[in-house]
Amino acid sequence: MRLRFFVRRLAMLIVSLLVASFVIFAAIYLAPGNPIAALSGGRSIPPESLKVLEARYHLDQPFLVQYWYWLTNALHGNLGISITLRENVSDLIASRISTTAGLVLYSSILIIAIGVGLGIAAGLRPGLLDTSILVVTAISASLPAFVAAIVLILVFAVQLRWFPSLGNGVGFFDQVKHLTLPAVALAISSLAIVARVTRAAIREESRKEHVQTAVSRGIPTAQLIWRHVLRNAAIPITTISGITVASLIAVAAVVEVVFGLAGLGAYLVQSAQSKDLAVVQGISLLLVGAFVAVNVLVDVLYAVLDPRVSLGSRAQ
Amino acid sequence: MYGKHTTLRLIAAVGVLGLLAIACGGRTTGGTTGGGLQLAVTTKAGTKPVDKVVWAVYRDVNSLDPIYAFDYPENTTDSLLYESLLRQAPDGSIGPGLATMTNPDSTTIVLTLKPGVKFWDGNPVTAEDVVFSLDRNTDARLAGFYPAVFNRVQSITATGANEVTIKLNKPDYWLIGELASIPAMIVEKKFTLAQGSNYGTPAGKIMGTGMYKFQSFTPGVAVVMVRNDNYWDSSVKPLVREIDIKGAPNDASLTSALETGGINGVYAQGLTTLDQLKASKAVTITYGPGWYTDAFIVSDLKGPLGDVRVRQALSLALDRKGLIDAIYKGTAALPKWISNSGTFGYGKSVFQAAYDSSPDMTQDLTKAKQLITDAGAAGKSITIGMSSELTGISIEAAALKAAAEAIGMKATLHSVSAQNFINFFIDPKARVGIDGFFTLNYGDYAGPEALPATFLLPDGSQNFDGYGVQGTDPNAADHAKIFQMFDDARGTADPNARAQKVADVEKAMATDLPWIPVLQPWVPTITSSNLSGTYSSFAYMFSPWAEKLGGT
Repeated sequence: MRLRFFVRRLAMLIVSLLVASFVIFAAIYLAPGNPIAALSGGRSIPPESLKVLEARYHLDQPFLVQYWYWLTNALHGNLGISITLRENVSDLIASRISTTAGLVLYSSILIIAIGVGLGIAAGLRPGLLDTSILVVTAISASLPAFVAAIVLILVFAVQLRWFPSLGNGVGFFDQVKHLTLPAVALAISSLAIVARVTRAAIREESRKEHVQTAVSRGIPTAQLIWRHVLRNAAIPITTISGITVASLIAVAAVVEVVFGLAGLGAYLVQSAQSKDLAVVQGISLLLVGAFVAVNVLVDVLYAVLDPRVSLGSRAQ
Repeated sequence: MYGKHTTLRLIAAVGVLGLLAIACGGRTTGGTTGGGLQLAVTTKAGTKPVDKVVWAVYRDVNSLDPIYAFDYPENTTDSLLYESLLRQAPDGSIGPGLATMTNPDSTTIVLTLKPGVKFWDGNPVTAEDVVFSLDRNTDARLAGFYPAVFNRVQSITATGANEVTIKLNKPDYWLIGELASIPAMIVEKKFTLAQGSNYGTPAGKIMGTGMYKFQSFTPGVAVVMVRNDNYWDSSVKPLVREIDIKGAPNDASLTSALETGGINGVYAQGLTTLDQLKASKAVTITYGPGWYTDAFIVSDLKGPLGDVRVRQALSLALDRKGLIDAIYKGTAALPKWISNSGTFGYGKSVFQAAYDSSPDMTQDLTKAKQLITDAGAAGKSITIGMSSELTGISIEAAALKAAAEAIGMKATLHSVSAQNFINFFIDPKARVGIDGFFTLNYGDYAGPEALPATFLLPDGSQNFDGYGVQGTDPNAADHAKIFQMFDDARGTADPNARAQKVADVEKAMATDLPWIPVLQPWVPTITSSNLSGTYSSFAYMFSPWAEKLGGT
């Protein structure tokens, strides 16, 4: 059963990657602009140099031939060479993974810790606390990451000077400091959504018969919440957290650009603009892979959280 | 030149009103602004040591190999790491660099390396390194961007341990300017060959002679360089220990980083937030002479623009003052010639006198209408290539359309995406049906011939309309005369005599208008207010602009 689940998921991943690679390749191919032009900032490159460069990157070949070159190389583990940087795409990507991974991880921790925390607090304590959390999350849920980023920079970097506004930093603590504002900007709206879903799930569970029975039997509050409310509310919370974290991988690009972080998302945007095909392909496929992986992880979590759910079938 | 980014930035940027923060004490020999204000070519030398300066460029650096340095980010970086054989001073004048130059006869250039010049690794710069570095430009396998510069070169040979002789097919005094620019930056042969195709990429290492030496190249982060304490000229002692060249992702990030000290300086190209920075106490803005020109490129001489009277009429009808205010908020000059007066790197007094005696290109609708009547061009239509996504280009195209309509012609705007705008420059198919398009363009050194050489010569890389070529130019014979004058200047040894001939060509171009100059922007240098000592002219693109940078 488990094996079949993983084999099926692996097959799905491969098909997703193949389809995505073709669609992305075609989209970039059809997009306006000339990748060689990005090298010169738009000055007229000598025609003889242009020819040599186009031949080097197979840009003078028809679309399908170009795709075939890319695909066969990729299957041999060679993701190609960046036109702008003349370096292996896999090396370029490797040097940026940690930034994006760090940002997404930092942000996920904020979302899950604060979002779930606020949701539980609001769910269990109706009244002023609940209302305040509802109001605050209503506002922050509607705040797009790029707006949050600009506000955070203005307040915490330009005015208060607590955090830097640009770049990655050197060493662990400096990097954490540099990633703080980006992670908050990225987390802020998702956090609100997670908090609201958690609140609703807690409320729903609290009203259920088995919880009422437990209350009447005098089970201690802590145990009641942990074993009877949270355990059952965990499935919807996991679902929304999984979706949110997976989407962070894509949304991170916006935040990386604003904060000048050397992450995959910012690099993807930059490469797409300069039509650096091999780089766009490499990063996109990595993101598709990560997205699929997070979803597999969520499915596994369902089974762990609720023994009634078997791998491969979605929880109801 | 207007590529995508350059265009956006240059155009949108220089938005600053009046109040020029001209650093006191800086040298101010770089020409004057329209209003008679002096532009500074350097800011006052720094006095205090500084540990680290982060300098922004408009995008990430792509390569550290000088044969691929063709745009602001690479030029700004390479000019600190490498040195050219001759060197351009902040005012554009050319003097010795790694070598001194003599001209035994008109087709021979002898370059003698200065004693003691050495690379970062301590190895002396040899004649062999020089020949190797120059030859890389024309090596087809490398596909560098400067082969055309060497088109009159017959041979480059080492004629001594410290001597290199360049033999020319025909006299070429323009090559001197190129020898003081990117194509003559020297790399170490042995080191470069060992690096192979990795040379200048993030995976590889580089070897230059500059007062700053390479430390790391991390795409998306920075190019890090540190002071070369073994610099061959021991009288030069830069005050800044480390310089990081960092691509700034966008104007908003750049601005907040300049205000918070995350970035300490930038040579701006079209910064939309310049007004905000001008109000900030955290930064100082200095304006210097630019070597670039914003112009309308005439790309088809078979249409209405083939008649010089139509070109003149459009030029007379164009509201340049309005464009200078609208796009550059007053920080650009009204042209008299195609070339910016900042480019007078030699024969200065000759150029300046000729320039001052030339008329400003001001608006005169009456004269323009008369020319259209004489040419019988009333009701004829032109098509302007533009991109509505590029703010400055759109404003210019609309202004030219208005000018054409004001004198009884018709004009159509042909808009393409920002990404595709570059195709007007590199793809002849994109120019079909287009009469012209706008550009911001510069040459490789401070000489008023450097830019026109790209579009006036029949084989010039930007001679899109076949100007002076039989078959594409109805007045090829007349234009061949201008070309002859230009060619004559190229072979004239005496700088003042050469300047006179180039000035005559500039005057002829100001009348014949192979390109229609629109305006000539200044260079805004923005630094943290506790820093000073950079070049503030366009020379930062080719020469060590941070040699006197330090704290104040």
